[in-house]
Amino acid sequence: MASVFHPGPPSGTPKYSFAQQPNTASEGARQHSFYPYTDNGGSTLGIAGADFTIIAGDTRSTSGYSINTRYCPKVFRIGGPESRIALSVVGFAADGDALKERLDTILKMYKYQHGKTMSVAACAQRLSHILYGKRFFPYYVHAILGGLDEEGKGAVYSYDPVGSYEREQCRAGGAAASLIMPFLDNQVNYKNQCIPGRGTGHELRQRVQEPLPRKDVEQLVEDAFSSAVERHIEVGDGLQMIIITSKGIEEIYKPLKKD
Amino acid sequence: MPGFDFSNHNRNQALHARGVPLPKATSTGTTIVGCIYDGGVVIAADTRATSGPIVADKNCEKLHYISPNIWCAGAGTAADTEFTTAIISSNLELHALSTGRKPRVVTCMTMLKQHLFRYQGHIGAYLVVAGVDPTGCHLFTVHAHGSTDKLPYVTMGSGSLAAMSVFETQWKAKLTRDEAVKLTSDAIQAGIWNDLGSGSNVDVCVITEEKAQLLRNYITPNVREQKQRDYKFKRGTTAVLDEKIITREEISKYVTVHELDDKNESAVGEKMDVDS
Amino acid sequence: MFISRSEYDRGINTFSPEGRLFQVEYSLEAIKLGSTAIGVATGEGVILGVEKRVTSTLLETSSVEKIVEIDRHIGCAMSGLQADARSMVEHARVESQNHAFHYAEPLRVESCTQAICDLALRFGEGADGEESIMSRPFGVALLIAGFDEDGPSLYHAEPSGTFYRYDAKAIGSGSEGAQAELQNEFHKSLTLSEAEILTLKTLKQVMEEKLDSKNVQLASVTKDKGFRIYTDDEMAEVVGRLPTN
Repeated sequence: MASVFHPGPPSGTPKYSFAQQPNTASEGARQHSFYPYTDNGGSTLGIAGADFTIIAGDTRSTSGYSINTRYCPKVFRIGGPESRIALSVVGFAADGDALKERLDTILKMYKYQHGKTMSVAACAQRLSHILYGKRFFPYYVHAILGGLDEEGKGAVYSYDPVGSYEREQCRAGGAAASLIMPFLDNQVNYKNQCIPGRGTGHELRQRVQEPLPRKDVEQLVEDAFSSAVERHIEVGDGLQMIIITSKGIEEIYKPLKKD
Repeated sequence: MPGFDFSNHNRNQALHARGVPLPKATSTGTTIVGCIYDGGVVIAADTRATSGPIVADKNCEKLHYISPNIWCAGAGTAADTEFTTAIISSNLELHALSTGRKPRVVTCMTMLKQHLFRYQGHIGAYLVVAGVDPTGCHLFTVHAHGSTDKLPYVTMGSGSLAAMSVFETQWKAKLTRDEAVKLTSDAIQAGIWNDLGSGSNVDVCVITEEKAQLLRNYITPNVREQKQRDYKFKRGTTAVLDEKIITREEISKYVTVHELDDKNESAVGEKMDVDS
Repeated sequence: MFISRSEYDRGINTFSPEGRLFQVEYSLEAIKLGSTAIGVATGEGVILGVEKRVTSTLLETSSVEKIVEIDRHIGCAMSGLQADARSMVEHARVESQNHAFHYAEPLRVESCTQAICDLALRFGEGADGEESIMSRPFGVALLIAGFDEDGPSLYHAEPSGTFYRYDAKAIGSGSEGAQAELQNEFHKSLTLSEAEILTLKTLKQVMEEKLDSKNVQLASVTKDKGFRIYTDDEMAEVVGRLPTN
């Protein structure tokens, strides 16, 4: 049955990108299209430490070559005052906001229903299901979830728009992700770094990853963003950082270049 | 053979139709402006060059020399503005030599529009032409398809609306030199802050009957801040799998070896602005 | 007891002038007709025990299922209309699986009990006149035993939709006598095997038939093994340990 509808092998003749059919108005119904997504630019970043997690994002919102606002947060504390979870969303801001509100509500309802705050692992799984639930009309966002795990260690989870997720040491998202991620690979996970003085050739040993102190991570985040601002036009204006520790959640704002 | 080479056109068209993307050209976003004042004309530009959303050059020069008394600000495809102004500059010099007169701004503008019209907009050069000649001060815009305007104040590029808003609120007739420089640089800054295609510094060129004065990096409001951390790697961090040392004596068998100065400066064309 | 029978008996969601819901109260009576079920919570885990009424010598006792699994860490014992319990347990199983699916963690015992009780009041007409699922209250009570991050716990859920947590609880026809016995014998430092004995001893006192390894059933919920129904051999072993008197 399926073979009836098979389009047949592709023809080898070259096709041209310009219209080959007459594009004058015909009698048939005219089709209007509506594209529901916009890219609002910006970038986000999450790094997990031994006993803390930093989630950061710039505060610029763009469309095309215009700036919508210089202060539109992309990083949110979610689940009420007792919760130790932060969510960052970058991509289409309206979807990001809707997603944040939905997860926030779910976290609060969870607390009422089960009498405890949700763990990051549980929240991570739940977020994945929310995203996959809209598999065929996705939330157009790159989400990064951060918090502290059951053992008190920093945890960062990153997602694709339809809910595939993974726990990671660090992750950059959004417009300047391709600029920031290699920097993080090198400076957080020490990729492409050898231990000096171990000899040459096969004697060489890769430098092993170890959890960074909080001060160092904050500096890395600031340098990552001030550098991304230099080379990406959609990143700038302000840097918002949410730092989650067992003692509570801190929020830091630092201005970035505005050009 | 002079002129453009079209021999790859059919191949590229077919490749494009099969989904191969066209290579990206540098810079479409820019803010360039010009303004006439009493006794001269000023043009100004930002210094950002982009390739899509990526900043390709943080401090490029968009003010191009045409003749000693004519300068041109370019927006659009970087290579097109560069080459078009260079070609017209050459031809205008030849024209001046054969006529024995100072080149006129209208002449420059006419040569530009005829060149651009011939290529039906495929040469993506959007220009602000300014200069002083024996007939007076002149300011023109030339669009890629060949149309031109003659106005007392002009803006072009993706930041043209931001810049024009400054002109429309603050411009007045009979400006002084300093007022004109302030007005044009303010217009450029409107582009730098509010248009993502524009950024970094302000370049200004003031042209009077006597001379043209290029004020390169007239305003630098976007100096990069000091980085928080030091990113120097210890020697030995990069994996060396194999090492072979070729001595100067050995290489001398094949080439002539010259000793350079201590500073090694002569080996570097343009000094790059590298982070210290 | 119910001398003043009136038309308030019939409307399921109608209060009597004294402020009573007769149908709900009657459903509690239905449980008192059911076989006895006992739950005892210790620090090591929870023991559930039920009597199986062997009404005929031709009855296959293994087909009497009064203790069932809800999830790997939650089980329940029932007393009353068993058919009603089926749909409650089914609901609890779905809730538990859904929770694990969405949150990658086991459902808490209290949340599971709450989920069951949410179902209990869905009788009569809905608030907006929509079709309801049930025409009467459940005629069954459950003892829900489980082990979660707070340790072992035992809950009692009634057809009225209320639930309480207990250290030890008896339901069904012999519940009054059994509860009194539990009241006397329970202490916080019971071991799991002591709880097995206490459960059977209490059942033995309230059962009409003579207790043997066939007409009672035990189950346990512990941290390591989760919910487990005792095998015939294990039943025989525990019954063998019962003090004879």
